[in-house]
Amino acid sequence: MISLSTGAFYERSATQIGSLRSRAESLQKQIGTGERLERSSDDPVAAARLRMLDREERITAVDTRNSDQAENNMRFTDEALGQIATMVSRARELALNAANATTSDDQRVLIATELDGLRESLLGLANGRNASGHSLFGGQAVGNAYDVDPVTGAATYAGTATLDRVEIGEGQTIQPGMTGQEVFAFTDAGGAPTDLFAQLASLSTALRAGGAGAADAARDALTTLDTGFDKVTTAQTVLGSRMAWLEIMSERRVDNVERITEERSVMGGADPAVTMTRLQEMMTVLEASQASFVRLANLNLFSMLR
Amino acid sequence: MASDLLSIGASGARAARGALEVTANNIANASSDGYVRRSIRIEEVSGGSIAGRGGDVSVSGSRIAQVRRNADAFRQAELRRTNADLQRANVELSGLQNIEAAVEQSGVFDSIVEFEAALQQLAGDPTDSARRAAVLGQAETLASKFNITASSLASAGEGLRFDAAADVENLNTYGAELSRVNLRLARAGAGSNDQAALLDQRDSLLERMSAFANVNTSFAPDGTVSVSLGASPGTAFVSGGTASTLTSATAVDGTLSFAIDGAPFNPGSGSLTGASLALSDLAAIGTRLDGIANSIATAINAAQANGVALDGTAGQPIFAGTTASTLSVAMAGGAGLATAPAGSPAGSRDQQNLAEMRQALTSANPAEGLNSILFDVSSKVAGRTVTQSALETIASSARIALEEQSGVDLDNEAANLIRYQQAFQASGKAMQVASDIFDTLLGIGR
Repeated sequence: MISLSTGAFYERSATQIGSLRSRAESLQKQIGTGERLERSSDDPVAAARLRMLDREERITAVDTRNSDQAENNMRFTDEALGQIATMVSRARELALNAANATTSDDQRVLIATELDGLRESLLGLANGRNASGHSLFGGQAVGNAYDVDPVTGAATYAGTATLDRVEIGEGQTIQPGMTGQEVFAFTDAGGAPTDLFAQLASLSTALRAGGAGAADAARDALTTLDTGFDKVTTAQTVLGSRMAWLEIMSERRVDNVERITEERSVMGGADPAVTMTRLQEMMTVLEASQASFVRLANLNLFSMLR
Repeated sequence: MASDLLSIGASGARAARGALEVTANNIANASSDGYVRRSIRIEEVSGGSIAGRGGDVSVSGSRIAQVRRNADAFRQAELRRTNADLQRANVELSGLQNIEAAVEQSGVFDSIVEFEAALQQLAGDPTDSARRAAVLGQAETLASKFNITASSLASAGEGLRFDAAADVENLNTYGAELSRVNLRLARAGAGSNDQAALLDQRDSLLERMSAFANVNTSFAPDGTVSVSLGASPGTAFVSGGTASTLTSATAVDGTLSFAIDGAPFNPGSGSLTGASLALSDLAAIGTRLDGIANSIATAINAAQANGVALDGTAGQPIFAGTTASTLSVAMAGGAGLATAPAGSPAGSRDQQNLAEMRQALTSANPAEGLNSILFDVSSKVAGRTVTQSALETIASSARIALEEQSGVDLDNEAANLIRYQQAFQASGKAMQVASDIFDTLLGIGR
C-alpha cells in the first residue's frame, strides 16, 4: 500500500515554499539594485558584454580628458595666432608708411624701432607655453620654440618638425596645435626659405641704414609681409577646422556613452514594471501556498479523536 | 488438548497490545531520521490436535509472527544514487561559485582596464609627472589585484580540500560503523524488533555514505551488506565485519586523488568527485590567470627595455614576478617610465616607445583574456546551476517517493490505534465470556 506519509508532506511543502521564497527574494534584490545580474553566472554572455562596455566607457573617459586637453591647447594656439595676425598687419602698416617717399630717414628709424618691438613681441608669442607648460609652437620641443642668439639677435627654430598627434577616440587622432614652421616660415620672392623674424630684422636694419635703399626695402617687405600674413591666416583656418573636428568627435563620444548606457540597461538592467509584476505574482503564489500549507497541516485525524 | 477460550482471548489481547505498541512506536518516530514504518503480521496459532483426531475443533488463538519493516530496496538504492549525484553537483557548484567570486569580485578586470586607461592618458602628455604617477599607481593596483585573486583562489582550494578531508574521515567512520552493524545483524533473529532497528541503522549509514561517493551494495539474506565504492563494480570498502581505509592525497597543483587501502580509485560520484572536479577547474583557472599576469609583465617590461626614462637612462622593468601571486611593481617612481625611444635626451616628449608599449599591451590583450576566463567560469557555473537544480528535483522526488512508501502516515496510525484498541477490547470481552462460562459451570453443582 502506498500512503502519503506525514514526513513526505512536510518535506514537499518545505521544498516548494522554500523555492518560492528564494525566487521572490532574488526578484526583490533585482528591484533594489536595478540590476538583473547579481553575478556573472546569472547570464554569462550578458555579463561578458557588460564588462567590455565598462571597459569601452572607461577608455572613452580618458579620450575625453585627452581631447579636452587638446582643445585647451588649440584655444591657446588660436588666441596666439589672432594676436600674431594683428601684429603682422601692424608691421605691414609700418612698412607701407616707410615705403612712402615723403617719409624722412628719422621717421624710418622710429618705424624701425617699433618694428623691433613688434618682432620682440612676436618672438615672445612664438615662445609661449600652453597649460601643461609645453612650448605652444615648438612641436615636441622640451624648451623654447625659437632660440635667440644673444649677440646677433637672430632667431632659429629649435622645435621639432611635427607635433605628435593625440588620440581622441574611435581610432581618430588629431594634431593639437601648430609648429613654428607652420606659422612663421615661408619662402621669399626668390624662393629661398625664410621666416617672419628674419624678414622683420632685415627690414629694420635696412630702415635704420636710411637713404633710397630704405624705401625700396620697405616696398619689397610689403610683399613678403603679405606672404607671412597669408601663412598666419592659413594656420588660423587649419586650426579652426581642426577645432570643429574635435567638437564633432566630442559629440560623437557623448552619443557613444549614451549608446553604452542604453545597451547596458538593455543587457543588465531590470525592467521595474516587469520585475514588480513578477514579484507580485510570486508573492500571491507564496501566500496561497503558505495558507494552504497551514490548512492541510491542520487536517489531522488525531484532532478528531476525542 | 481442546481449545481453551481464556488463553485464546489472552493471546488475542497480547497480539492487539503488541500491535498498539508498534503503532505508538510509529507515531513516536514519525519524524525520526531514517526510521522505516513498522507493521506487524499477526498469524493464527494452529495445531495442538491429537493424532488421529484431526476433525476436532482445535483453535489456539493468534500471535505476532513478524515485525515488518516497510522498506523498498529499489527506492532506497535510487535515493542513494540520486543523493550521490546531487552532492557531487552541490560541491562542484559551490566550488565553482567560489572561483567565480574570487576572480570577479577581486576586480582584477577593472584594474587591467584602469591600467590601460592610465597608459592612454599618459599618451596625452608623456612628461607630465602626475600622469606618470597615475600609471605607476594603477600598475601597483593591478599587481595587488592579481595577488588578491590568487590568494582568494588558493583559499577556495583550501576550503575544498578541507571539506574533502573531513568527508574522507566521515566515510571511514561510517564504513567502520557499518561493519559493526553487519556483525550484529548476523546475530539478530529474523523478524525481530532488534533486527528492524539494525536494518534502519544500516540503511541510514548507507544513505550517509552515498553523499560522499558512489555506493554499490550487495545484500546477504541475513541483512548484512557489502559495500564497494566508485563506479560499478567499484572497489571493495566494507565486507562483513571488516572495513577498509580510504585516504586522499593532494598533488602539487592542488588536485585530489583517492585510494582505498593504498589502491587508487575514483569515487565516481558524491561530494568527493565534486571536490576533485572543482579543484581541477581551479587549477586550470589558476594557470590561465598566471599566464595573463605573466603576459602583462613580459609585454610591459620588454617595451621598457627598448626605451629611455625621463632622465635619459635606459628603461628598467616595471613589474617583477611571473605569476598572479608573485606579481609586484619593481619601479620606485613614475619618472622611470620609458616613454621615449632609446637614444632620446633627458626630458624628451617623444612618445614613440609609449605607443609601442601600448601596442604590446594591446596584442597581449589581458582584458580580453580575463574576460574570457570570467566568461568560461560563469557560464560553467550557469550550466552547473541548471544541472544542480535538475538533480535536486530528482533527488528530492526520490526522497519523497521513499518517504511515501516507508514513512509514517499519522492518519493511518490514528486509524490503527482505534482498530487495535477495539481488537484489544474484543479479546478482553472474549476472556470475560470464558470466565462467565466457567462460573456457570461451577454454579451447576450448587
